[in-house]
Amino acid sequence: MNLEWLLEPLRYEFFVRGLIGLSLIAVLCACVGTFVVLKGLSYIGDAMAHAVFPGIVASFLLKINYFIGGVAAAIITALSIGFVARRSGLKQDSAVGTVFVGMFALGVVLLSQTRTYSVDLAHLLVGEPLGISAGDIQTTLVLGSLALIALFALQKELVLVSFDETEARVIGLPVNALNTFTLILIALTVVLAIQVVGTILVVSFLVTSSSTARLLTTRVGAMMLWGSAIGVACGVLGLYLSYFLGTPAGAMVVIVNTLVFVAVLLLRRTRGDPARV
Amino acid sequence: MSNPMLPPDRFPADHSSPLVNVSDVRVMFGETVALTGASFHLCKGEFVAVIGPNGAGKSTLLRAILGLVPFTGEINFSPTLGLTPLQRISYVPQQQSLDWSFPVTVWDVVMMGRIRHIGWLRRAAPSDTAAVTDALERAGVSDLRKRPIAALSGGQRQRVLLARMLARDCELIFLDEPFTGVDAKTQDSILQLLERERMSGKAILMVTHDLESARAWCSHILLVNRTVIASGSPALVYTPANIEKTFSSARLEP
Repeated sequence: MNLEWLLEPLRYEFFVRGLIGLSLIAVLCACVGTFVVLKGLSYIGDAMAHAVFPGIVASFLLKINYFIGGVAAAIITALSIGFVARRSGLKQDSAVGTVFVGMFALGVVLLSQTRTYSVDLAHLLVGEPLGISAGDIQTTLVLGSLALIALFALQKELVLVSFDETEARVIGLPVNALNTFTLILIALTVVLAIQVVGTILVVSFLVTSSSTARLLTTRVGAMMLWGSAIGVACGVLGLYLSYFLGTPAGAMVVIVNTLVFVAVLLLRRTRGDPARV
Repeated sequence: MSNPMLPPDRFPADHSSPLVNVSDVRVMFGETVALTGASFHLCKGEFVAVIGPNGAGKSTLLRAILGLVPFTGEINFSPTLGLTPLQRISYVPQQQSLDWSFPVTVWDVVMMGRIRHIGWLRRAAPSDTAAVTDALERAGVSDLRKRPIAALSGGQRQRVLLARMLARDCELIFLDEPFTGVDAKTQDSILQLLERERMSGKAILMVTHDLESARAWCSHILLVNRTVIASGSPALVYTPANIEKTFSSARLEP
């Protein structure tokens, strides 16, 4: 069998960088995404992705690392959501909706003020895995590793807070701090993932492979492991497909992820309860 | 239901030094008074039932002692407990309050009872594994240890929560409606398990609807409807007037 076609795109450095970048992001997203799925935070993940947009655009305008502006905007968003919910007495989803659309609109206005970087910035909306630089990979590797180490260090506490928050309070765990920590991890993951899949598609990366894994496993650890494997496999497959079909890479990866989720959903024996396999 | 095996007086409660003293506790939810003027104490070796209709503030009373809702009044713990306030009580929540599709096994849930013993950034020590094994054994769910919690029956769920409570090993045990979704046989074995805990010197506070099992097993009854209406031994408390006052549809004005 001739595997020439498989090796052909690997001649391009940008393709190899895309593969590495996508795989790193897929693992990070699967692990953080496990908690997003278990705690029902998908909406907040999506909101975070839109809300960091002005921070990233501002970073381009100020000519600083996009990561700094992104994380700053994420922290402002997380704090604002809490403030709006407490002050207004509105339900959290209304508070989230109010804050993130406002932040995103601010990003769009800022974007209109840039001229020279507009092409790069367009990538922030839909992503461009093939545009990842060696520096981006380095940033992702360092910050992603730190995020995962922190996640695994606090895993048993985070699992308890997700499963039974009351018990966590009764035994005296700092539940609010752990929830804030989860939000910060989501923010960090979102900012790292935006370079690959963009603001609009990032929530798919954050939750789809973890959701697929949720259908297949009955332990939290296995969910992270399977989510990572599925995420990496879909990333590689999506990137190859985009290369041969000439389609946008970020969107292609998301489509493959979604199709795998649907396939698992349809092929599995039982319905309804996700953990009952 | 009777209790021929374990006469209630075999381990008399030690009333000299209460483990918890609740004095004139009042809980407000916005403008609504959930509970007012609640006073009682809980001693070593006591099995106390909190009885009242839905919305009477029974769970609220538990949650106030647990520090989960703000209150006025005083709740004092015995200094002999010697722990920080929030770590003195094993709490068994209503099983419907939990997400039973969560991807964990029975073993994982019972091990959650050891989180504070294990400590931050650490993994379970052999002593924790032994405690979990022992708790599973005592709650009668050893054979279920590898099962995902999504595949448990109502009675099995309750036993798993009891095993987690045993693994925590606190002096005070609080239970909120432990008989919901549980058959009569399981209810009986849960009561026997609690009686064994009581005899080993634990203090138990249980919210329940079941007047009869409380009469058979509990040393002390609190009838609650927005306040403590009657408090004492079942024989003393279960008068038609008290029951009427507790369960009458008219809400009591505080």
